[in-house]
Amino acid sequence: MKRNQVMRTLFKRFLLSAFWLLLFYGLASGEPDLPIGSSLDSSVCYQPPDLPVIIAQFSKPSLKEEELELEETLDTLADPLEPVNRIFFHVNDKLYFWALKPLASGYKAVVPEDLRLGVKHFFSNLTTPVRLVNCLLQANFKGAGNETVRFLLNSTLGLAGFLDPAKTELKIEKRDEDFGQTLGFWGIGPAFYIEWPILGASSLRDTFGYAGDLLLDPKTYLIKSVSLGLAIRTYDQVNGTSFRIGEYEDFKRNTLDPYIAKREAYHQNRKHKIKNR
Amino acid sequence: MNRIGLAKWLLSLSLTFAMLGIAIAGEPQEQLKQTTDKVLSVLSDPSLKSPNKTKERKGLILKIVDERFDWEEMARRSLSRHWAQRTSEEKKEFVTLIKGLLERVYMDKVEGYSWDKIIYEGERIDGDYATIKVKIYTEKDQTISVEYRTWKKGNQWLVYDFLIEGVGMVNNYRTQFNEIIAKSSYQELIKRLKAKSTQN
Repeated sequence: MKRNQVMRTLFKRFLLSAFWLLLFYGLASGEPDLPIGSSLDSSVCYQPPDLPVIIAQFSKPSLKEEELELEETLDTLADPLEPVNRIFFHVNDKLYFWALKPLASGYKAVVPEDLRLGVKHFFSNLTTPVRLVNCLLQANFKGAGNETVRFLLNSTLGLAGFLDPAKTELKIEKRDEDFGQTLGFWGIGPAFYIEWPILGASSLRDTFGYAGDLLLDPKTYLIKSVSLGLAIRTYDQVNGTSFRIGEYEDFKRNTLDPYIAKREAYHQNRKHKIKNR
Repeated sequence: MNRIGLAKWLLSLSLTFAMLGIAIAGEPQEQLKQTTDKVLSVLSDPSLKSPNKTKERKGLILKIVDERFDWEEMARRSLSRHWAQRTSEEKKEFVTLIKGLLERVYMDKVEGYSWDKIIYEGERIDGDYATIKVKIYTEKDQTISVEYRTWKKGNQWLVYDFLIEGVGMVNNYRTQFNEIIAKSSYQELIKRLKAKSTQN
Protein backbone atom coordinates (compact mmCIF):
# COMPACT_ATOMS: atom_id res chain seq x y z
CA MET A 1 0.00 0.00 0.00
CA LYS A 2 2.70 2.41 1.06
CA ARG A 3 4.93 1.30 -1.81
CA ASN A 4 2.14 1.88 -4.24
CA GLN A 5 1.79 5.44 -3.01
CA VAL A 6 5.49 6.09 -3.42
CA MET A 7 5.37 4.76 -6.95
CA ARG A 8 2.42 6.99 -7.71
CA THR A 9 4.09 10.14 -6.47
CA LEU A 10 7.26 9.23 -8.35
CA PHE A 11 5.26 8.74 -11.51
CA LYS A 12 3.50 12.07 -11.01
CA ARG A 13 6.81 13.81 -10.54
CA PHE A 14 8.17 12.20 -13.65
CA LEU A 15 5.19 13.39 -15.65
CA LEU A 16 5.50 16.90 -14.29
CA SER A 17 9.24 17.01 -14.98
CA ALA A 18 8.64 15.83 -18.51
CA PHE A 19 6.04 18.55 -18.88
CA TRP A 20 8.46 21.18 -17.65
CA LEU A 21 11.20 19.90 -19.91
CA LEU A 22 8.94 20.01 -22.94
CA LEU A 23 7.67 23.45 -22.03
CA PHE A 24 11.13 24.90 -21.52
CA TYR A 25 12.51 23.20 -24.56
CA GLY A 26 9.63 24.58 -26.56
CA LEU A 27 10.24 28.07 -25.21
CA ALA A 28 13.98 27.84 -25.71
CA SER A 29 13.64 26.87 -29.33
CA GLY A 30 10.74 29.25 -29.95
CA GLU A 31 13.00 32.03 -31.08
CA PRO A 32 10.74 35.11 -30.88
CA ASP A 33 11.26 35.51 -27.14
CA LEU A 34 15.01 34.95 -27.27
CA PRO A 35 16.88 38.23 -27.63
CA ILE A 36 19.91 36.80 -29.42
CA GLY A 37 19.00 33.73 -31.39
CA SER A 38 16.59 35.48 -33.67
CA SER A 39 14.06 33.70 -35.78
CA LEU A 40 15.11 31.74 -38.83
CA ASP A 41 11.56 31.82 -40.03
CA SER A 42 11.18 34.98 -42.05
CA SER A 43 7.41 34.81 -42.32
CA VAL A 44 6.94 35.29 -38.59
CA CYS A 45 8.01 38.78 -37.61
CA TYR A 46 6.67 38.99 -34.12
CA GLN A 47 4.50 36.76 -32.01
CA PRO A 48 4.03 36.94 -28.29
CA PRO A 49 5.79 33.92 -26.80
CA ASP A 50 2.77 31.96 -25.68
CA LEU A 51 1.21 28.61 -26.43
CA PRO A 52 0.76 29.12 -30.21
CA VAL A 53 4.54 29.50 -30.49
CA ILE A 54 5.12 26.16 -28.84
CA ILE A 55 2.55 24.55 -31.10
CA ALA A 56 4.05 26.32 -34.11
CA GLN A 57 7.30 24.54 -33.35
CA PHE A 58 5.83 21.36 -34.67
CA SER A 59 4.53 22.85 -37.90
CA LYS A 60 7.63 24.93 -38.64
CA PRO A 61 9.58 23.73 -41.68
CA SER A 62 12.66 21.84 -40.57
CA LEU A 63 16.12 23.05 -41.54
CA LYS A 64 16.30 20.15 -43.92
CA GLU A 65 13.11 21.23 -45.66
CA GLU A 66 14.41 24.77 -45.87
CA GLU A 67 17.60 23.46 -47.43
CA LEU A 68 15.73 21.37 -49.95
CA GLU A 69 13.73 24.44 -50.87
CA LEU A 70 16.98 26.23 -51.46
CA GLU A 71 17.87 23.60 -54.01
CA GLU A 72 15.12 24.84 -56.28
CA THR A 73 14.91 28.59 -56.00
CA LEU A 74 16.93 31.24 -54.27
CA ASP A 75 15.26 34.36 -52.99
CA THR A 76 16.83 36.89 -55.31
CA LEU A 77 15.96 40.55 -55.70
CA ALA A 78 13.97 41.59 -58.79
CA ASP A 79 15.97 43.82 -61.09
CA PRO A 80 13.93 45.30 -63.95
CA LEU A 81 16.27 48.30 -64.12
CA GLU A 82 19.38 46.17 -64.56
CA PRO A 83 20.78 47.95 -67.65
CA VAL A 84 20.55 51.36 -65.96
CA ASN A 85 21.71 49.95 -62.63
CA ARG A 86 24.78 48.45 -64.25
CA ILE A 87 25.70 51.84 -65.68
CA PHE A 88 25.42 53.45 -62.27
CA PHE A 89 27.31 50.56 -60.72
CA HIS A 90 30.13 51.37 -63.12
CA VAL A 91 29.89 55.07 -62.25
CA ASN A 92 30.03 54.31 -58.52
CA ASP A 93 32.92 51.95 -59.04
CA LYS A 94 34.89 54.70 -60.77
CA LEU A 95 33.81 57.25 -58.18
CA TYR A 96 35.28 55.02 -55.50
CA PHE A 97 38.61 54.42 -57.20
CA TRP A 98 39.07 57.91 -58.63
CA ALA A 99 37.61 60.12 -55.91
CA LEU A 100 36.53 58.52 -52.66
CA LYS A 101 39.48 56.17 -52.18
CA PRO A 102 42.25 58.75 -52.91
CA LEU A 103 40.49 61.26 -50.65
CA ALA A 104 39.98 58.78 -47.84
CA SER A 105 43.53 57.41 -48.14
CA GLY A 106 45.08 60.86 -47.99
CA TYR A 107 42.85 61.80 -45.09
CA LYS A 108 43.74 58.56 -43.31
CA ALA A 109 47.45 59.26 -43.74
CA VAL A 110 47.14 62.72 -42.17
CA VAL A 111 44.51 62.34 -39.45
CA PRO A 112 45.22 60.01 -36.52
CA GLU A 113 42.89 57.08 -36.01
CA ASP A 114 41.50 58.24 -32.66
CA LEU A 115 40.38 61.50 -34.16
CA ARG A 116 38.75 59.77 -37.13
CA LEU A 117 36.99 57.43 -34.74
CA GLY A 118 35.78 60.42 -32.73
CA VAL A 119 34.36 62.02 -35.87
CA LYS A 120 32.65 58.76 -36.75
CA HIS A 121 31.09 58.58 -33.30
CA PHE A 122 30.06 62.24 -33.46
CA PHE A 123 28.16 61.81 -36.73
CA SER A 124 26.64 58.57 -35.51
CA ASN A 125 25.49 60.18 -32.26
CA LEU A 126 23.90 63.00 -34.25
CA THR A 127 21.68 60.55 -36.14
CA THR A 128 20.30 58.99 -32.93
CA PRO A 129 16.74 60.24 -33.74
CA VAL A 130 16.72 58.06 -36.86
CA ARG A 131 17.52 54.92 -34.88
CA LEU A 132 15.41 55.82 -31.85
CA VAL A 133 12.25 56.58 -33.83
CA ASN A 134 12.65 53.49 -35.98
CA CYS A 135 13.09 51.31 -32.90
CA LEU A 136 9.81 52.72 -31.60
CA LEU A 137 8.10 52.21 -34.95
CA GLN A 138 9.08 48.54 -34.74
CA ALA A 139 7.81 48.29 -31.15
CA ASN A 140 11.38 47.62 -30.07
CA PHE A 141 11.24 49.41 -26.74
CA LYS A 142 14.46 47.94 -25.43
CA GLY A 143 16.29 49.23 -28.49
CA ALA A 144 14.66 52.65 -28.07
CA GLY A 145 15.71 52.69 -24.43
CA ASN A 146 19.26 51.76 -25.37
CA GLU A 147 19.43 54.52 -27.96
CA THR A 148 18.10 57.07 -25.45
CA VAL A 149 20.64 56.10 -22.82
CA ARG A 150 23.41 56.09 -25.40
CA PHE A 151 22.47 59.56 -26.63
CA LEU A 152 22.23 61.09 -23.14
CA LEU A 153 25.47 59.52 -21.98
CA ASN A 154 27.54 60.01 -25.11
CA SER A 155 26.41 63.61 -25.63
CA THR A 156 27.50 64.56 -22.12
CA LEU A 157 30.24 62.31 -20.74
CA GLY A 158 31.17 61.34 -24.29
CA LEU A 159 32.01 64.98 -25.13
CA ALA A 160 29.21 65.72 -27.63
CA GLY A 161 29.44 62.21 -29.03
CA PHE A 162 33.15 62.06 -29.85
CA LEU A 163 33.56 59.23 -27.38
CA ASP A 164 31.33 56.22 -26.92
CA PRO A 165 31.33 55.51 -23.16
CA ALA A 166 27.92 53.82 -23.46
CA LYS A 167 29.58 51.05 -25.41
CA THR A 168 33.03 51.01 -23.87
CA GLU A 169 31.89 51.31 -20.25
CA LEU A 170 28.35 49.96 -20.19
CA LYS A 171 28.41 47.62 -23.21
CA ILE A 172 25.28 49.21 -24.66
CA GLU A 173 25.55 48.68 -28.39
CA LYS A 174 24.15 50.87 -31.12
CA ARG A 175 20.91 49.67 -32.74
CA ASP A 176 21.33 50.05 -36.42
CA GLU A 177 17.73 50.75 -37.42
CA ASP A 178 16.41 52.81 -40.30
CA PHE A 179 13.07 53.52 -41.92
CA GLY A 180 13.63 50.98 -44.70
CA GLN A 181 13.93 48.29 -42.02
CA THR A 182 10.78 49.58 -40.32
CA LEU A 183 8.86 49.25 -43.57
CA GLY A 184 10.31 45.77 -43.99
CA PHE A 185 9.34 44.88 -40.45
CA TRP A 186 5.73 45.73 -41.22
CA GLY A 187 5.75 43.41 -44.19
CA ILE A 188 6.67 45.67 -47.09
CA GLY A 189 8.99 43.93 -49.54
CA PRO A 190 11.93 45.64 -51.25
CA ALA A 191 10.13 45.56 -54.65
CA PHE A 192 13.23 45.86 -56.84
CA TYR A 193 16.88 46.82 -56.80
CA ILE A 194 18.07 50.36 -57.46
CA GLU A 195 21.68 51.37 -57.76
CA TRP A 196 21.74 55.09 -57.06
CA PRO A 197 24.70 57.16 -58.22
CA ILE A 198 26.82 58.15 -55.19
CA LEU A 199 24.39 56.64 -52.66
CA GLY A 200 24.91 53.13 -54.00
CA ALA A 201 22.84 50.00 -53.38
CA SER A 202 19.17 50.43 -52.52
CA SER A 203 15.72 49.16 -53.34
CA LEU A 204 12.43 50.89 -54.02
CA ARG A 205 11.38 50.36 -50.39
CA ASP A 206 14.72 51.48 -48.98
CA THR A 207 14.72 54.59 -51.19
CA PHE A 208 11.52 55.66 -49.46
CA GLY A 209 13.21 54.61 -46.25
CA TYR A 210 16.16 56.86 -46.99
CA ALA A 211 13.86 59.81 -47.59
CA GLY A 212 12.20 59.12 -44.24
CA ASP A 213 15.59 58.95 -42.52
CA LEU A 214 16.53 62.35 -43.98
CA LEU A 215 13.46 63.80 -42.28
CA LEU A 216 14.65 62.41 -38.94
CA ASP A 217 18.26 63.47 -39.44
CA PRO A 218 19.01 66.64 -37.42
CA LYS A 219 21.56 67.68 -40.05
CA THR A 220 18.63 68.31 -42.42
CA TYR A 221 17.34 71.02 -40.08
CA LEU A 222 20.53 72.32 -38.50
CA ILE A 223 22.32 73.12 -41.74
CA LYS A 224 20.43 75.63 -43.81
CA SER A 225 22.85 75.93 -46.71
CA VAL A 226 22.57 73.11 -49.27
CA SER A 227 26.22 73.18 -50.29
CA LEU A 228 27.40 73.10 -46.69
CA GLY A 229 25.05 70.20 -46.00
CA LEU A 230 26.48 68.28 -48.95
CA ALA A 231 30.02 69.09 -47.87
CA ILE A 232 29.35 67.79 -44.37
CA ARG A 233 27.73 64.60 -45.68
CA THR A 234 30.69 64.08 -48.01
CA TYR A 235 33.09 64.54 -45.13
CA ASP A 236 31.12 61.98 -43.08
CA GLN A 237 31.39 59.61 -46.04
CA VAL A 238 35.13 60.14 -46.50
CA ASN A 239 35.75 59.70 -42.78
CA GLY A 240 33.72 56.49 -42.73
CA THR A 241 35.51 55.17 -45.81
CA SER A 242 38.90 55.74 -44.20
CA PHE A 243 38.10 52.73 -41.96
CA ARG A 244 37.00 50.52 -44.82
CA ILE A 245 39.72 50.93 -47.43
CA GLY A 246 40.45 47.55 -48.93
CA GLU A 247 37.03 46.01 -48.30
CA TYR A 248 35.59 46.91 -51.68
CA GLU A 249 38.84 45.84 -53.35
CA ASP A 250 38.62 42.43 -51.62
CA PHE A 251 35.02 42.14 -52.64
CA LYS A 252 35.81 42.84 -56.29
CA ARG A 253 38.74 40.45 -56.26
CA ASN A 254 36.57 37.62 -54.93
CA THR A 255 33.55 38.01 -57.19
CA LEU A 256 33.02 36.99 -60.80
CA ASP A 257 30.18 39.41 -61.43
CA PRO A 258 30.55 42.15 -58.79
CA TYR A 259 27.27 43.78 -59.81
CA ILE A 260 25.20 40.63 -59.19
CA ALA A 261 27.20 39.87 -56.05
CA LYS A 262 26.57 43.38 -54.68
CA ARG A 263 22.87 43.28 -55.45
CA GLU A 264 22.31 39.90 -53.80
CA ALA A 265 24.55 40.74 -50.84
CA TYR A 266 22.51 43.92 -50.36
CA HIS A 267 19.27 41.96 -50.45
CA GLN A 268 20.43 39.29 -48.00
CA ASN A 269 21.99 41.82 -45.64
CA ARG A 270 18.80 43.89 -45.53
CA LYS A 271 16.73 40.79 -44.80
CA HIS A 272 19.15 39.93 -42.00
CA LYS A 273 18.88 43.42 -40.52
CA ILE A 274 15.09 43.42 -40.67
CA LYS A 275 14.95 40.06 -38.90
CA ASN A 276 17.42 41.14 -36.19
CA ARG A 277 15.62 44.18 -34.95
CA MET B 1 8.51 16.21 5.89
CA ASN B 2 7.41 19.26 3.95
CA ARG B 3 10.95 20.48 3.68
CA ILE B 4 12.16 17.17 2.34
CA GLY B 5 9.35 17.25 -0.17
CA LEU B 6 10.42 20.72 -1.28
CA ALA B 7 14.04 19.59 -1.48
CA LYS B 8 13.03 16.68 -3.69
CA TRP B 9 11.10 19.03 -5.91
CA LEU B 10 14.02 21.35 -6.23
CA LEU B 11 16.24 18.40 -7.04
CA SER B 12 13.97 17.15 -9.79
CA LEU B 13 13.65 20.68 -11.16
CA SER B 14 17.40 21.19 -11.18
CA LEU B 15 17.81 17.82 -12.91
CA THR B 16 15.35 19.02 -15.51
CA PHE B 17 17.43 22.11 -16.09
CA ALA B 18 20.61 20.05 -16.19
CA MET B 19 19.10 17.98 -18.97
CA LEU B 20 18.10 21.17 -20.72
CA GLY B 21 21.69 22.38 -20.44
CA ILE B 22 22.90 19.29 -22.23
CA ALA B 23 20.35 19.89 -24.93
CA ILE B 24 21.58 23.47 -25.46
CA ALA B 25 25.35 23.03 -25.77
CA GLY B 26 25.30 20.61 -28.66
CA GLU B 27 27.82 18.78 -30.74
CA PRO B 28 27.82 21.02 -33.85
CA GLN B 29 28.74 24.10 -31.84
CA GLU B 30 31.33 22.18 -29.84
CA GLN B 31 33.06 20.95 -32.99
CA LEU B 32 32.96 24.36 -34.64
CA LYS B 33 34.34 25.91 -31.48
CA GLN B 34 37.30 23.53 -31.53
CA THR B 35 38.11 24.68 -35.06
CA THR B 36 37.72 28.40 -34.40
CA ASP B 37 39.69 28.13 -31.16
CA LYS B 38 42.57 26.68 -33.15
CA VAL B 39 42.33 29.53 -35.67
CA LEU B 40 42.30 32.06 -32.81
CA SER B 41 45.36 30.49 -31.22
CA VAL B 42 47.27 30.77 -34.51
CA LEU B 43 46.18 34.39 -34.82
CA SER B 44 47.32 35.26 -31.32
CA ASP B 45 50.63 33.37 -31.59
CA PRO B 46 53.27 36.10 -31.23
CA SER B 47 55.91 34.04 -33.05
CA LEU B 48 53.73 34.09 -36.19
CA LYS B 49 52.95 37.81 -36.15
CA SER B 50 55.94 39.15 -38.09
CA PRO B 51 55.29 40.01 -41.74
CA ASN B 52 57.66 37.37 -43.11
CA LYS B 53 55.60 34.70 -41.37
CA THR B 54 52.36 35.68 -43.12
CA LYS B 55 52.54 32.79 -45.57
CA GLU B 56 53.21 30.22 -42.87
CA ARG B 57 50.38 31.59 -40.76
CA LYS B 58 47.98 31.51 -43.67
CA GLY B 59 48.94 27.90 -44.41
CA LEU B 60 48.30 26.90 -40.82
CA ILE B 61 44.89 28.57 -40.73
CA LEU B 62 43.78 27.05 -44.01
CA LYS B 63 44.80 23.61 -42.81
CA ILE B 64 42.64 24.02 -39.71
CA VAL B 65 39.69 25.31 -41.72
CA ASP B 66 40.04 22.49 -44.24
CA GLU B 67 39.00 19.94 -41.60
CA ARG B 68 35.74 21.71 -40.89
CA PHE B 69 34.67 22.97 -44.33
CA ASP B 70 32.98 20.64 -46.77
CA TRP B 71 34.36 22.01 -50.05
CA GLU B 72 32.61 19.49 -52.22
CA GLU B 73 29.23 20.30 -50.74
CA MET B 74 29.94 24.01 -51.20
CA ALA B 75 30.81 23.33 -54.82
CA ARG B 76 27.65 21.29 -55.32
CA ARG B 77 25.50 23.98 -53.77
CA SER B 78 27.07 26.83 -55.67
CA LEU B 79 26.44 25.04 -58.98
CA SER B 80 23.01 23.77 -57.84
CA ARG B 81 21.15 22.20 -60.76
CA HIS B 82 24.19 22.44 -63.06
CA TRP B 83 26.21 20.15 -60.78
CA ALA B 84 24.52 16.93 -61.89
CA GLN B 85 25.35 17.62 -65.54
CA ARG B 86 29.11 17.72 -64.92
CA THR B 87 31.46 14.77 -65.31
CA SER B 88 33.39 13.61 -62.25
CA GLU B 89 36.56 15.22 -63.62
CA GLU B 90 34.81 18.52 -64.18
CA LYS B 91 33.43 18.29 -60.66
CA LYS B 92 36.90 17.74 -59.24
CA GLU B 93 38.29 20.72 -61.12
CA PHE B 94 35.39 22.87 -60.00
CA VAL B 95 35.82 21.90 -56.33
CA THR B 96 39.46 23.00 -56.44
CA LEU B 97 38.54 26.32 -58.03
CA ILE B 98 35.76 27.22 -55.62
CA LYS B 99 37.84 26.05 -52.68
CA GLY B 100 40.55 28.53 -53.64
CA LEU B 101 37.99 31.30 -53.92
CA LEU B 102 36.23 30.58 -50.63
CA GLU B 103 39.54 30.21 -48.81
CA ARG B 104 40.44 33.67 -50.00
CA VAL B 105 37.09 35.07 -48.81
CA TYR B 106 37.66 33.49 -45.41
CA MET B 107 41.25 34.69 -45.14
CA ASP B 108 40.28 38.25 -46.13
CA LYS B 109 37.86 38.25 -43.22
CA VAL B 110 40.43 36.79 -40.85
CA GLU B 111 43.37 38.96 -41.84
CA GLY B 112 41.56 42.20 -42.56
CA TYR B 113 39.92 42.39 -39.17
CA SER B 114 42.33 40.93 -36.60
CA TRP B 115 39.90 38.79 -34.61
CA ASP B 116 39.90 39.24 -30.89
CA LYS B 117 37.26 36.95 -29.47
CA ILE B 118 34.25 34.95 -30.58
CA ILE B 119 30.94 34.78 -28.75
CA TYR B 120 28.64 31.85 -29.48
CA GLU B 121 25.07 33.06 -29.75
CA GLY B 122 23.26 29.78 -30.10
CA GLU B 123 22.69 26.90 -32.41
CA ARG B 124 19.73 25.19 -33.97
CA ILE B 125 19.91 21.49 -34.65
CA ASP B 126 17.44 19.75 -36.87
CA GLY B 127 18.27 16.16 -37.69
CA ASP B 128 21.44 16.17 -39.75
CA TYR B 129 21.45 19.93 -40.22
CA ALA B 130 22.52 22.62 -37.77
CA THR B 131 23.11 26.36 -37.81
CA ILE B 132 25.46 28.05 -35.38
CA LYS B 133 25.46 31.79 -34.83
CA VAL B 134 28.58 33.55 -33.63
CA LYS B 135 29.64 37.13 -33.13
CA ILE B 136 33.25 37.96 -33.86
CA TYR B 137 34.76 40.88 -31.98
CA THR B 138 37.72 42.49 -33.67
CA GLU B 139 40.60 44.24 -31.98
CA LYS B 140 39.14 47.57 -33.10
CA ASP B 141 35.91 46.67 -31.33
CA GLN B 142 33.89 46.10 -34.45
CA THR B 143 31.53 43.17 -34.48
CA ILE B 144 30.86 40.80 -37.34
CA SER B 145 27.94 38.43 -37.07
CA VAL B 146 28.56 35.10 -38.75
CA GLU B 147 26.25 32.14 -39.15
CA TYR B 148 27.67 28.75 -39.97
CA ARG B 149 25.47 26.23 -41.74
CA THR B 150 26.58 22.68 -41.06
CA TRP B 151 25.48 19.16 -41.84
CA LYS B 152 26.46 15.87 -40.33
CA LYS B 153 28.81 13.59 -42.21
CA GLY B 154 29.76 10.53 -40.19
CA ASN B 155 30.37 11.97 -36.74
CA GLN B 156 31.56 15.34 -38.01
CA TRP B 157 29.47 18.45 -38.47
CA LEU B 158 30.84 20.12 -41.58
CA VAL B 159 30.26 23.67 -42.79
CA TYR B 160 28.57 23.97 -46.18
CA ASP B 161 27.93 27.72 -46.12
CA PHE B 162 28.85 30.67 -43.94
CA LEU B 163 26.85 33.86 -43.75
CA ILE B 164 28.57 37.14 -42.97
CA GLU B 165 26.05 39.75 -41.78
CA GLY B 166 23.33 37.64 -43.30
CA VAL B 167 25.05 37.24 -46.67
CA GLY B 168 25.61 33.58 -47.52
CA MET B 169 28.90 33.23 -49.35
CA VAL B 170 28.06 30.02 -51.18
CA ASN B 171 24.59 31.26 -52.09
CA ASN B 172 26.02 34.53 -53.35
CA TYR B 173 28.34 32.63 -55.66
CA ARG B 174 25.44 30.50 -56.74
CA THR B 175 23.55 33.54 -58.08
CA GLN B 176 26.64 34.73 -59.91
CA PHE B 177 27.40 31.29 -61.40
CA ASN B 178 23.78 30.79 -62.45
CA GLU B 179 23.80 34.11 -64.24
CA ILE B 180 27.08 33.42 -66.03
CA ILE B 181 26.02 29.93 -67.14
CA ALA B 182 22.64 31.26 -68.30
CA LYS B 183 24.19 34.10 -70.28
CA SER B 184 27.13 32.17 -71.73
CA SER B 185 28.26 28.69 -70.72
CA TYR B 186 29.84 26.48 -68.09
CA GLN B 187 33.15 26.72 -69.96
CA GLU B 188 33.01 30.50 -69.68
CA LEU B 189 32.43 30.18 -65.94
CA ILE B 190 35.48 27.94 -65.58
CA LYS B 191 37.55 30.38 -67.62
CA ARG B 192 36.55 33.25 -65.35
CA LEU B 193 37.12 31.21 -62.21
CA LYS B 194 40.61 30.32 -63.37
CA ALA B 195 41.33 33.96 -64.15
CA LYS B 196 40.20 34.85 -60.62
CA SER B 197 42.39 32.24 -58.97
CA THR B 198 45.53 33.65 -60.58
CA GLN B 199 44.60 37.27 -59.85
CA ASN B 200 45.99 38.63 -56.65
